This record gives sequence, structure tokens and C-alpha cells, in this order.
Amino acid sequence: MLSRSAMLARKVLPRSLARTFSTEAATAEATSVTLNLSVPYESIYNGAAVDSVIIPGTEGEYGITVNHVPYVAQMKPGVLQVLFEGADPEKYFVAGGFAVTHANSVTDVVCVEAVKLDDIDPSAVTSNYEAAKSAYGAATAGSVEQAEAMIDMEVNKAMGLAIGLTLA
Amino acid sequence: MTAPATSFWRIAGMTYLQYANRAAGSVRAALKEPLKSKLAAEGQFSYKASVWEGGVQGPKVEITSLEQAGKAV
Repeated sequence: MLSRSAMLARKVLPRSLARTFSTEAATAEATSVTLNLSVPYESIYNGAAVDSVIIPGTEGEYGITVNHVPYVAQMKPGVLQVLFEGADPEKYFVAGGFAVTHANSVTDVVCVEAVKLDDIDPSAVTSNYEAAKSAYGAATAGSVEQAEAMIDMEVNKAMGLAIGLTLA
Repeated sequence: MTAPATSFWRIAGMTYLQYANRAAGSVRAALKEPLKSKLAAEGQFSYKASVWEGGVQGPKVEITSLEQAGKAV
């Protein structure tokens, strides 16, 4: 039941200016995804209005478009794509991190390292992968060295996939 | 075969920060030259820390890795 002042306001004022309960107020719809992509030493995108962002979540790749449901995800080493309308996607290889999408379509992506795919050296990826694979075989099961080798293997394999190599 | 309840790195005793920074180091190790040298120092850090006991500051120890940082100095 509205208060007397609110009921009076409804008669006198145009509907849009009438006071309503806070739960009835329409939330302003965002017009684009506002992307904040940062690494510790650089803010790659800061408040950029983008069409959509494709994020490599640990449980699967997903895309964020405007007015997406709020979402929090851990990222796995993989490719993050930023799509602008009518332009080629900007691709970054991220080493992992987190991506948070808020109700107002602001998307914060934070990662320890994010590089453009052109900056990845294919021969280094192949040799680092092979070195990690032998380190994995040489390490004792369940040790930190084996876990580190596994991380190197996982990241190099993902980088290989991103630039078009297939590493076994 | 069900998936393990937690990540392989957690089982091996690593923390998330160690995992994330190791993965970032792997990415840096596979970069092309001008960027590789530019980012080479990113994973490094150092600071001095000391433990206070009974109102007395203990000796300062230089911390240069996450493994060291995780210990109570």
C-alpha cells in the first residue's frame, strides 16, 4: 500500500516522477559490457565499452554480453577474446586469474600475465613443453617439482593450442 | 573414475598464488624477444620481514619467493 504522499504524487506528477518503493524502481540497463582487464603492471582495458568478452573459465569457455547474469569464474590458462562491433576480436593469452561480471555489465578480469598471441614464440613453446614433460617424468609422484612440471606442461600446451601447434 | 576433490597443485602442497605465478612464469618463458626481456623481472620481488614477539622486533629476513613468504619468517 503506497503512502498518501506517494498516491498524491501519482495523480499530480507524470508517472516517471512519481515516488515508488525502491524495489519497484527500474534498474538502468547497460548498453555495453564495460571491460576492465588488468595485469599487475598494466591496465590493458580500463572502462572500455566492448560488445562481448569470451573468457576461458576452468569449467568451460563462456561469453559475456551486455546485461549478462552476474558471474564469477576462475580462469584457466587460455585465450581471452575481446569483441568489438565490426572489428576482429582482440585475443590475449592469459595465464589464469579471475573474471567477475557485475549486475551492471562491468566485467573485471584480473590475471597475473596476459600477452598478445603474436608475442608467443612457437619454438620456445615446443622446447619448454618437452623440457617440462621430461621434468614431469623425472620427478617423484606427488611432489612440488612434479606439480610445477605439470603446470609448465599445461600452460605450454594451452599456448600451443592458442597459436596453432599441437603438443602431445 | 571420479575427478579429485581439489586441484593437483593443492594436493602437492602449493598455494593458489604459487600456482598462478608459476603459470605466469611459464608464459613469460615462451615470449618473443623484446617483450621477453621487458617482462623478465615481473615475477621477481623481495622485501624484508621480521617477527615481533613480546613487543620486541626480531631479526629482519629477506623474502624473495612465495615459498619463503608463506612461512612465518
